[in-house]
Formats: sequence, C-alpha cells, structure tokens
Amino acid sequence: MLRMNYDELITLATDVGCLLLANGAEIYRVEESMQRIFRAYGVHTGEIFAIPTCINVTIVTPQGKPVTLIRRIPVRGTNLDRVERGNALCRRICSERPDFKTVRREISMIEHRPVFGLGFQIVMFALVAFFFTLFFGGDFSDAVCSMFCGAVIKIVCHYMNKFNANPFFVNIVASFAAAAMVMCAAQFDMALNIDKVIIGALMNLVPGIAITSFMRDIIAGDLMAGLIRFTESMLVATAIAIGAGIALTLSRMIWGV
Amino acid sequence: MTDFTPCIWAFLACIPFGAVMNLRGKTLLFASLGGGIGWFFYLLCNPLHNDIMQYFIAMIAISVYSEIMARLFKMPVTGFLLAAMLPMVPGGGIYYTMEYCVIGNNQMFIETGLHTLGIAGALAMGTLLVSSLVRLWHIITEEKKI
Repeated sequence: MLRMNYDELITLATDVGCLLLANGAEIYRVEESMQRIFRAYGVHTGEIFAIPTCINVTIVTPQGKPVTLIRRIPVRGTNLDRVERGNALCRRICSERPDFKTVRREISMIEHRPVFGLGFQIVMFALVAFFFTLFFGGDFSDAVCSMFCGAVIKIVCHYMNKFNANPFFVNIVASFAAAAMVMCAAQFDMALNIDKVIIGALMNLVPGIAITSFMRDIIAGDLMAGLIRFTESMLVATAIAIGAGIALTLSRMIWGV
Repeated sequence: MTDFTPCIWAFLACIPFGAVMNLRGKTLLFASLGGGIGWFFYLLCNPLHNDIMQYFIAMIAISVYSEIMARLFKMPVTGFLLAAMLPMVPGGGIYYTMEYCVIGNNQMFIETGLHTLGIAGALAMGTLLVSSLVRLWHIITEEKKI
C-alpha cells in the first residue's frame, strides 16, 4: 500500500465533520463519523473533541508524529438533507475506502446541493404560522393575519443575517416586527385573538431544535456541547420574549389596550 | 369527546417547517406525520388532567416513532425527531410568560414560567428515555453477536 498522506487525511475527515456539524448533526454523530473515517484508513489513534462551534482533532501517525487540526465553525444552520448525505458519504468511505480525490469531490457536491430559494422559504414560514395559529385554536381570520407575520419574520431574518447581525438581536427584531404587525392589525379588527396570532407566527423562531439536540448531546455524554446548546436555546427564548414584549408594551402606551 | 382536528393542523404545520430544514420527499411526509401522531397521543391522554404528563407521553410516542422510521428509511433519527416535535414545543408558554411579565403580574409570571420549564423538561425526559433505551438495546444485541 502506498504511503498515506496524513495531513490530507486529517483535513478530509475534518471537512466531513464540519459538513455534519455546520448543518445540525449531533456531536456524537460527528465524533463517531470522524473516528470511523480514521479507522477505515488505518489510523487508530484519532482523538476528536467537537463542540457546536469548533472541532479539534489530533491523530498520531505510525511514525509517532502527531498531527493536529482545529476548525472553527462560524455559521451553523439546519439542513437535514446535507446531514443525511454526509452520513451516507461517511458510510461509503468506511466500506469502500475511496481515494481522497473522490471523497473531496463528493463533499463539494454535497455542499453545492441546492437549497430552497428565499421566495419558497417565505411561503413556508407563512404556512407554518398559518397552521400553527389554527393549531393553537385561532379561527380562520387569525390564521390569515398570522400568515403575513410569518412571512415578515422570514424577510427580517434574511436581511439581518445578510448583514451578519448576531442571532440574539435578529430574534428580538423579528419577534418585535411580527408582534408589532399584529398589534397594528388589532386596531382595525377588534375580533382578532392577538395571543393566538402572535404565538402562531413566533413558532417559526422557537428553539425546538436547540432544545432536542441539547438533550441528545447530554445523553450521549457531551456535556460541554449540551451546555452550549442549552444556553443557546435559553437565549433564543429570551430574545423572542423580549421582542414581543417590547411590541406589547409600546402598543399599550400608544393605544392603551 | 375530545376534538382531534388539531392533529391535522399539527401534521400540516410540520410539512412547511420540515421543508425549511430541507427535509425532502417521503422523509418530509413521514416526519410530519410524527407531529400529528404526537399530538394525537397528547389529546388521547386528556383524561389524565396533567399536561406535563401528557407532553411526556406524547414525546415518548414521537421518539419511538422516529426511531422506527429512522431504521426503516436508514436515515439519522434527528430529522424525524426535529420536525415531529415542533408542535410540542411550548411556544404558547413562552408567550404567556412574557405577557404576564409585561402586565406586571409577577405571581402568574413565575407560575407560567416554571410550568413552561416543566414542559421543556418533560419533552427532554421523553427523548432521553427512548434514545437511552434504544442505545442500550443496540449494545446488548451487538454483544450477543460476538
């Protein structure tokens, strides 16, 4: 067997780990996948430490030389399609041990898989708000009003993210915008169930993802990662409450309702 | 007689949410179905008159469903779980807590806040229980093979 390029191996494994982590996979999945890749290529000394914002890897080559790589993950999102493909790629690497070039091509192919456009996402956010308002017991006119709020949330998030605003602030503004819209609408239509409409629209922002994955991380023994995600979910929840709270207080001051 | 229409709304609400997270095709459909099933179990346990317990049972139902679906489709459990648990997330709790805070009703504020935390805890316990058991089962069956 020809001599292994360990620098290349560690970069590649970290790329796969990064792909999984940045798109919302659990920590244990990331660490296990990377470990398996190392084993597939005959390195049994891989030490991996991953938290949601960073991956640290060290492997020791058979010559006894340690190689380390640290990769920060600045932007995280949820793209389960990519997690799924990354997972499948990892399985393939373990069973077939393709050469590095093929793996690299596969990774970039996964990274370039199409995501839904802004227009489609706005419609989806609107629909989420629409159905959740009905779900929480609002009537049809509430749901229609909520639909517009959902769309506004996505638009606000999109443009604020474009300017790299921090997530805490983005959530405050988005939740404020939605709640303010509802309060204005309520001035014209007194029959509106304000609470149902706002809750429905805000379900788009609620940190359900963070709540589940923090629990799953803690179960798997990644306490550090779990704590980070827990803090994250608390921050998002607080931000949502602050944003909507400001809108409610303002409307009380202006219209006295 | 309990009204089961919210199950349908839960199912329909999960579809666009799953789509935002880039779930596709059959996975999206079955993950959303999990949302409906979860709320069905929640309503089914209405006679308990204890919504934290109801959330707990519904979450167990969702987790079991997600684990089964993940095995069937050979995909990570997370995808199914994330989409299906959305209707369970205490968005209402967060909102009402905030509202009491704004009005200045401190007693209700603390009460609702703690209740919301309780719900989040129940959800977490539900997933914890199921995925720990699944892991245990995995380890035992693999030891048998060796």
